[in-house]
Amino acid sequence: MFFATPAYAAEAAEHGAEHSQALFSIFGLQVSSVVTTMWGLMVLIILFSYLATKRMNKVPESRLQNFLEFVLESILELLTPIMGDEKLAKRYFPLLASFFILILASNYAGLLPGAGHLPGLQAPTSTLSVTAGFAVVVFFATHYYGLKTKGIKYFKHFVQPFPFLLPLNIIEEFVRPLSLSLRLYGNVFGEEMVVASLFALIPLFLPIPMMLLGILFGLVQAFVFTMLATLYISMATAEQH
Amino acid sequence: MSGIIAIAAALAVAIASIGPGIGQGLAAGKAMESIARQPEAAGEIRTALILSLAFMEALTIYGLLIAFLLYGKI
Repeated sequence: MFFATPAYAAEAAEHGAEHSQALFSIFGLQVSSVVTTMWGLMVLIILFSYLATKRMNKVPESRLQNFLEFVLESILELLTPIMGDEKLAKRYFPLLASFFILILASNYAGLLPGAGHLPGLQAPTSTLSVTAGFAVVVFFATHYYGLKTKGIKYFKHFVQPFPFLLPLNIIEEFVRPLSLSLRLYGNVFGEEMVVASLFALIPLFLPIPMMLLGILFGLVQAFVFTMLATLYISMATAEQH
Repeated sequence: MSGIIAIAAALAVAIASIGPGIGQGLAAGKAMESIARQPEAAGEIRTALILSLAFMEALTIYGLLIAFLLYGKI
């Protein structure tokens, strides 16, 4: 059977979003392997940032600082044309760059050997809960920044271009986080499932092309999520056209 | 009954990939044309292309999710 997937994937298909079992619980909160992977990523990223910025020089001497500056500058270069202005892009840069780095790391965590099989290791973005969390942050950040820059005039964009489009505009606001989270979740989860079913067909070499594609898709999805978040924020904070 | 669900799952992802396939082909073709005509604008065109491809991709992904949901019901 083509879809003779490993146990975890079949489980995933059955339970939809909540396909990770709890490893242990803290104060009644269940901790699944997604959460532990996220903790690991957080430790890695925080440790890396701390080590890279511990002895900061104007002209970077340490390799870590050089690398971090290169990464952040490339992200800033991507955001600038969408925001329209480097000053604006720098204002929202911390949030958006954090999204990019965290989503990229989460996507790539799914490519580690044993991810999804070993307890405590699974790509965090392959659950709807995590991606929905990201999308909700984007949703609130958009409205917060819009209100902060434009004040009460921000609500005017709901009745533009015509007042009778108000319901549609409101629906659009709520469809955005839905599509953001579903896109990220669907891509990572779908890629994982395809690799799992190819693995069940022929375990040797056959899943490799799909995993190579997974490297590309992980980058593209992190890129797209960040781009869309940038686009939403820049639309909310832009002056009237 | 489970046979019908299996066919429905297959159809969900199959039909959902037709439209985005055509759309992505058109978009990528146009983008390549414009890069060939104006190579200095390649960077901006590529960003816009990836964004629009992601929007189209999402439609297929919705179909795929429905297929997974249906597959779980077999």
